[in-house]
Amino acid sequence: MIELRDLTAGYGGGDVLQGVDLAVERGSITCVVGPNGAGKSTVLRVISGLLRPRLGEVTLAGASIAGRSTPDIIRAGIVQVPQAGGLFGDLTVHENMLVGGHVLRRDRKRVKRRIAELAEAFPILGERAGDKAGDLSGGQRRIVEFARALITEPQVVLLDEPTLGLDPRASAVVFETTKMVQSLGATVLMVEQNVRFGLKLADHGVVMERGRVILADTAEALLARPDMSALFFGSTPQAGEAAEGREEARKSTAAGSLA
Amino acid sequence: MTLLAQTLIFGLLTGGVYALMSSGFTLTFGVMRVINLAHGALLIVAAFFTWWLWDRTGIDPLLLGLGLTVVMYGIGWVLYKTVIARVQRIDPELTLVASFGVAVAASGVLSLIWGTEARAATPSYFNTSISLGEIVIPRAQLYACVGAVLLLAALYALLRGTFVGRSIRACATSRNGAALVGIDVERTMAQMFAIGAATTAFGGAALAVLYQFVPDSHYVWIGRVLCIVVLGGFGSFAGAAAGAVILGIGEALTAAYWDTRWTTAVPYLLIIAILILRPQGLFGARHRLEGATT
Repeated sequence: MIELRDLTAGYGGGDVLQGVDLAVERGSITCVVGPNGAGKSTVLRVISGLLRPRLGEVTLAGASIAGRSTPDIIRAGIVQVPQAGGLFGDLTVHENMLVGGHVLRRDRKRVKRRIAELAEAFPILGERAGDKAGDLSGGQRRIVEFARALITEPQVVLLDEPTLGLDPRASAVVFETTKMVQSLGATVLMVEQNVRFGLKLADHGVVMERGRVILADTAEALLARPDMSALFFGSTPQAGEAAEGREEARKSTAAGSLA
Repeated sequence: MTLLAQTLIFGLLTGGVYALMSSGFTLTFGVMRVINLAHGALLIVAAFFTWWLWDRTGIDPLLLGLGLTVVMYGIGWVLYKTVIARVQRIDPELTLVASFGVAVAASGVLSLIWGTEARAATPSYFNTSISLGEIVIPRAQLYACVGAVLLLAALYALLRGTFVGRSIRACATSRNGAALVGIDVERTMAQMFAIGAATTAFGGAALAVLYQFVPDSHYVWIGRVLCIVVLGGFGSFAGAAAGAVILGIGEALTAAYWDTRWTTAVPYLLIIAILILRPQGLFGARHRLEGATT
């Protein structure tokens, strides 16, 4: 569905991504994990058009989309749900949905129809339509953000750290909502710090380190690997050892969020 | 009692005009976090355009102000693209200095073109009024206030009910989120700044009718605008409207019960008082962001 080939991109003088190869299957959930600075979020920024690649190719269903503007990429069928804070808290829930349909603004009937359709799948859109989005709980905000992304009927939804800053209950909402997005026909490519959460949700997993993909497999196979902690926190021995303790602490949080 | 009622009505009418004059400044700060010290100069530029056109054509100055909205929008757009956006990329705080530089430069250019003589546009109804019993309402103040309130309502409707307005409000909350739904953030910022400048068109026209002005008058007017936004809470649209009415009434009461010469000191006395008693402004910190766009 989406394919990245030898993708190189960065900010200023440095390359954050150094030849990334990645393929995402249609209808799947693929989760990218890796230590801070691995380039996970940069991958999403390049796909969504916020950052131009310096080299390499990005294709959607075989067609090149590398370097196109964000509105063009949304029209092509890819939307990104940003990290926490991407919801427009001063706007009502309904206004957030309208803004989500920005690229369709000349087709008001379609926007209206999509909001009505999505309100059936996500009842909160109707129940809290007139409330300010900033007044919703963490989980509710995430639902609105997901629903907002679906206005344009995307083929691919990119999720950037969907559980960042959320408590276990809200994370569980994200889990269910992501599954729902998949069941509605979208392919999901997500970046997640919470490794166990991400891989339990995903069909496929990709591990990145220092701007490269170092491992790609089914999520189940990745979860079963005994060296997963070292892979996540960095493959250098010191980093791996130091990370073990933190990962143990993190396990309980992740387990709680999936309970 | 009649004097008090008369004074309050006069202050209210003045406050309505002040509210429009400060709305663009508030919008620019609320959305972009830019303190546009050129806002007073934009008001004076619009006032000079109004006076010059009125002097040449005899067309009603307030109607000219409506027409000048397009011109001031264009000036705002150019100002944003050539100065504000560029300086912002270097250091957002530098916009304060840059916009002050624009104000000084604009004042100099106006002096070169039209001199430093005091000007005012005085339409035929300037010295006429409407009587309601013992209360007298000057037509110029009334028309200027009605026009200003209608334009504020139009601005509110634009922000609330159009894609452009919602895009502006979205950018005020999360530029990253706005970019990810396909909003051209840079273009929206330029539109917003230009809309802020466009509000000075009718504001400047009202200024030209109600007050005498010279190129350097922008110092007085940016002082008034700053007083209004400090009163209401920086970036708060509703707070600015309240601040505008308070300042208008404060000036009217000072002129009626004390001395007209002291009216120019009222904004600064109010700023000192509010900074001591309630530094976050009357509408408080919570309303700063949301108020800017609601």
